[in-house]
Amino acid sequence: MSNMKTIVGFTFKNKVRTKSFIVTTIILLLLVTAGINSLYVMSLFNNKDEGGPAKAEVVGIVNDTEGVAPALQDYYKKQSNTNLSIQIYDGSGDPAADETKLKQDLAAKKIAGYLVATESEDGNFPKFFYKSSNIRVTGDSTTNSLETALNSVKTDFIVEDSLTDAQKQQLAEPVVMDLEQVAVNEGNAGTNQTQEQKVAAYILVYVMLFLFFMTAYMTGNMIAAEVTAEKSSRIMEILITSVSPLSQMFGKVIGMFLVGLTQIAVFVATVVVNLSLPHNLAILEKYHIDMSEIDPMLLIYGIVFYILGYFLFAVLFAAIGSMVSRTEELGQAIMPITFVSLAAFYISMFSISTPNTMLVKVASFIPFTSPTSMILRLGLGEVAYWEVWLSIVFLLVAIFICGWLSAKIYRTGVLMYGKRPTWKELRKAMKAYKI
Amino acid sequence: MNALKLEQVVKVYGDKRAVNQINLEVGKGEIYGLLGANGAGKTTTMRMVLGLIYPDEGQIQYNGKGYSKELNRLMGYLPEERGLYPKIKVSEQLVYLAQLRGMSKADADRSLKYWLDRFNVPEYYDKRIEELSKGNQQKMQFIAAVIHKPQIIIMDEAFSGLDPVNVELLKETVKEVRDEGASILFSTHRMEHVEELCQNITILHKSNTVLQGNLKEIKRQFPRESVILGTDGEVAGLDQITGVTKVDRLETGYKIGISDEQAAQEILRMAMQQRTVHRFEVVEPTLNQIFIKAVGERHE
Repeated sequence: MSNMKTIVGFTFKNKVRTKSFIVTTIILLLLVTAGINSLYVMSLFNNKDEGGPAKAEVVGIVNDTEGVAPALQDYYKKQSNTNLSIQIYDGSGDPAADETKLKQDLAAKKIAGYLVATESEDGNFPKFFYKSSNIRVTGDSTTNSLETALNSVKTDFIVEDSLTDAQKQQLAEPVVMDLEQVAVNEGNAGTNQTQEQKVAAYILVYVMLFLFFMTAYMTGNMIAAEVTAEKSSRIMEILITSVSPLSQMFGKVIGMFLVGLTQIAVFVATVVVNLSLPHNLAILEKYHIDMSEIDPMLLIYGIVFYILGYFLFAVLFAAIGSMVSRTEELGQAIMPITFVSLAAFYISMFSISTPNTMLVKVASFIPFTSPTSMILRLGLGEVAYWEVWLSIVFLLVAIFICGWLSAKIYRTGVLMYGKRPTWKELRKAMKAYKI
Repeated sequence: MNALKLEQVVKVYGDKRAVNQINLEVGKGEIYGLLGANGAGKTTTMRMVLGLIYPDEGQIQYNGKGYSKELNRLMGYLPEERGLYPKIKVSEQLVYLAQLRGMSKADADRSLKYWLDRFNVPEYYDKRIEELSKGNQQKMQFIAAVIHKPQIIIMDEAFSGLDPVNVELLKETVKEVRDEGASILFSTHRMEHVEELCQNITILHKSNTVLQGNLKEIKRQFPRESVILGTDGEVAGLDQITGVTKVDRLETGYKIGISDEQAAQEILRMAMQQRTVHRFEVVEPTLNQIFIKAVGERHE
């Protein structure tokens, strides 16, 4: 046991001091800082647009028989907080010629865009096209405003004078709808979340998935690389005559785990410090994000799955590292497990908005994908606690089996030099070494 | 009771016998020579002694007891392929290795300083291994094997890659360690080192023990096959003596190959009749010759 402590300490100390580790950590720190503050920086630019003298936008429309164009113009004249105004073009009777004229004005930047009405049938409200040289698929303030305006004009058009102005005003008010998730089975995880809790859970799940993938994959790689380096520098022969391979392997795995935790700690500290800056607090409030709404149970389960998942991947990385004699061959050797870790990450990432699909449910019981999938289900989906515990048991069994197998491979692999052994050769060697 | 005892030890890899029924005993304060060509089974034998791999048959006893994990603390190992962490300071990794062998950090540090002083290189304490020359890396490797004051030391190719000055220095320290009571199992291709250091040897060839025992006795078993003769002038008719196989004229006399020790007396008599003899020696075979004979004969 004291040996293991020595190995853990040595592994940790030497890794944390390497240039590569320091550089990656600093890059991570900068990226996170930039990412968090980008919201604020972006809002600065937006404010300039809104706060400065409003840039007047003129939208052209051809006068029509139904009287939509003047109504629209009136609507905008009545609005105080808009930069939009309507310019009415007299129709020549030939739509093609009208549009050519509008296009010319658009090119001359006299108008920002123009509305074209299509023929209405049976006196129904016509359908409109908004045409501009700058159209965003998702819509922007101009199109949103025009839609609202047209809706209002349409209401007037249909109800004519049968409603009072107050009633029209009420009609124009948008319906208020807040979201709240209700669990079908009381007592399941992820029950009865309010909107704020949902947002907080969403962010937490997202961050945990990302951290799991990053640290498990990166530290796993480091473990494999360290083992291979020890093998190729032949210090392995001295090490295995000093300490049992099992404590050596787990010493390394735990040491690297601490390295990973350090990285996460740096990450979390950066996030917390950045978020508690006043300008960022304001943004959080604006988007209704309140991190105190995080469910502590989700965090605890997240940590449990993170630790278990990490160990499962780490022992396999160590085993693979022990089979390779030269660092150059390592990338190829860890390919399969790289794919598995990528699968674990992407299954959850792609399902983040649909956490209750069969794919996620199945994945949440398969040891390699369960850490990420179960975090997703816990945070955003609906899952019974017995499922969570079953998944944890599966994970523990998998760690036990893989740990045992990896220790055997490690014990054999570290003594085998030359080309990477095939599974058959490895089994033969295990028999020969009586492991 | 000997510090290390191997009895009828066999190791089989697949269908190949890597080590076939080896017996040997290393006493306290003894350097035991394990010799053999490449692939003879030396490293496998050493790995079994170290407990890295287990024998298929026979047994290995340490101070009369079987292998146990605690023995790791009592054993030191200088592997054939040298290896330390290239990017880590000498002090850190050697103290670490000593700690893994159960030494306290403070003791390890003290011991390391003693050894660095012993090799006249105290300034390496804060150097990284990759900054040292190959010979100096070798010294650090040696320190790694002895820093924790082991009772049983396995040295595979102890002096390879060193210049003559450092070979002498390392040889002296090996003797010191032996005189402090350590048992050393030692392998090398340099026979003169074995002659200087070892009392008992085993020569392995293709997994089998071909020659074993006390070095002096082994030498006695091998016929003396050459005579050095120093005279003040030419001696005629040496090649006429029965039993003489070869006559080489040297600056100061002759080197004569013989097939029968009786011929030596005949050579002396003939030389004394003709000239003044100022040197006469029936040379015992060198270990090098014995080795080549023992291994080479079976090659054919």
